[in-house]
Amino acid sequence: MADRPMLIAEDIHRRFEGMQAVDGVSLEVPRGQITGLIGPNGAGKSTFLAVVAGTMPPSSGRISFDGEDITRLPAYRRARRGLVRTFQLPSEFARLTVLENLLVAAPRHRGDSLWGALLGRRYWGEDEERLVTEARSVLQRFGMSAKESDYAGEMSGGQKRLIEIMRALMLHPRCLLLDEPMSGVHPRVVAEIQHYLQTLRAEGLTILMVEHELHLVEQLCDSVFVMAQGKLIGSGTMASLRRQREIVDAYLVG
Amino acid sequence: MNTYYATNLLVYAGVDIIACLALNLQFGVSGITNFALIVFQAAGAYAAAVLSMPPSSSPDYSFQLYVGGYNLPFPIPWLGGALAGAALAIPVGLVVLRKLRSDYQAIALLVTSIIANTVITNARTFLNGAAGLALIPQPLDTQIDPRSDTYSYFFVGLTAVAVAVVWIIAARIVNSPYGRTLRAMRDHELAATALGKNPVQLKMTVFIVGGAIAGLSGAILAGYITAWAPSEWLYPETIILFAAVIVGGRGNNLGAILGALLVPVGFEEVTRLLIRLNVGPPNLIPALEWVLIGLFILGFLWFRPEGVRPEPRRVFEGGPDG
Repeated sequence: MADRPMLIAEDIHRRFEGMQAVDGVSLEVPRGQITGLIGPNGAGKSTFLAVVAGTMPPSSGRISFDGEDITRLPAYRRARRGLVRTFQLPSEFARLTVLENLLVAAPRHRGDSLWGALLGRRYWGEDEERLVTEARSVLQRFGMSAKESDYAGEMSGGQKRLIEIMRALMLHPRCLLLDEPMSGVHPRVVAEIQHYLQTLRAEGLTILMVEHELHLVEQLCDSVFVMAQGKLIGSGTMASLRRQREIVDAYLVG
Repeated sequence: MNTYYATNLLVYAGVDIIACLALNLQFGVSGITNFALIVFQAAGAYAAAVLSMPPSSSPDYSFQLYVGGYNLPFPIPWLGGALAGAALAIPVGLVVLRKLRSDYQAIALLVTSIIANTVITNARTFLNGAAGLALIPQPLDTQIDPRSDTYSYFFVGLTAVAVAVVWIIAARIVNSPYGRTLRAMRDHELAATALGKNPVQLKMTVFIVGGAIAGLSGAILAGYITAWAPSEWLYPETIILFAAVIVGGRGNNLGAILGALLVPVGFEEVTRLLIRLNVGPPNLIPALEWVLIGLFILGFLWFRPEGVRPEPRRVFEGGPDG
């Protein structure tokens, strides 16, 4: 089953009031690779990502994740199954510390239920210790250890991006959906994030990522899908896409 | 200061502290703007009343009309009050919390509060309408003479026990990983959903737990003042509690307690003093009180939005700072 695609979207439609934001998109995201999703503003990329993540229901279509039909699953259940998204705009928990942002994401914490909480620290303290250790190792890996006790809301744009990615990793995802993870980030941090994503790929994580900066897509992505006006208009490697006249006209001019 | 005055102050303080802890859990920690909190207190008060009163057909009580009348001993009325608050939270929560965005939730709850008061005021056969219920029995009043000083101490003690129990529950929730999840949902609901949290379930749970706590506060109040009527739970009462939580410090249980002592208790006492001084027309002081509470909320939101005791920053042992 190693060759089975991680994610299959079949004929996804998403209509808004009189507009087809996503108009019959079908694509397969291969396992263990970084797949790019590019296209001009308003092409429907973020909407497509939201439909895949379950934060927006599709008007029609079918999504399967690792062989399982998840079209009807609510977003939080998809996340628990290992399909985790990040957001185009910073979405940190502002009044939680950086470390707490990571701890929130940890699944199956004994203290993360009403009854667990009422039973007190003696019931969930061990889980907490284990997860603090795990979260700290993630922080260290992303060079954010010194910031663990700072409020996430006080971090820079780039650090907030890192928090989002680290938070997602705490869920032990099988597939990450990244919505413009480099937007609004200092160039130095862009290089860092790029490096982290490559490391994650090397560890076997599947990533589907919406990105605007084509040179980043070229460096990072194994294959790329191009969307315009809600439709899929091409796919392949960046190099092959550059040779296709109509795609260049639609988007890649320059 | 006589015993009556001190008892009054302490019992009201206890009731306000309990209500503020409920509101802090819902509003301060979880971000649910429950503008109907007072309705849950009222539900607890009415439930405690009809559980402890004899049927309205009995001779001393025949001047009022109400459902139930079960003559049950303490502590059943208090537990029943908490249960009633929780039970009311289920339908209200299912209607308000599932689909509406949070600002609309606040409006919907405010309207719920007004509708509930109007309905109870006009449905006379249900809970005696505008006149309300009177002669509500006090806890264990057959064992201890309710007019004695001993009873005053006893009631203050009972209230203190209730405050302690609620404090432990609230502290355990707020300081747990579950409380952390609630705070995360408050800060960014969509992101919490994307991390596997079910916001509807979280909000419903907090709404029910807070409803139970508010219900308990109502049960204590009904058993203390021995009367309960719609004029006790008009929607502005909720605003006073909001002022308390905002002034004390949203998300901080100690702040909620401090706010309860500063705002509802403090204002009540200041007003009482001013009324005694007899200045201006009779309605001036209560009207000024509202102006003052409004200014208080605005002033704090403007100059110190985090309150007197802000939500604590949680630093973990063994980190770079610890």
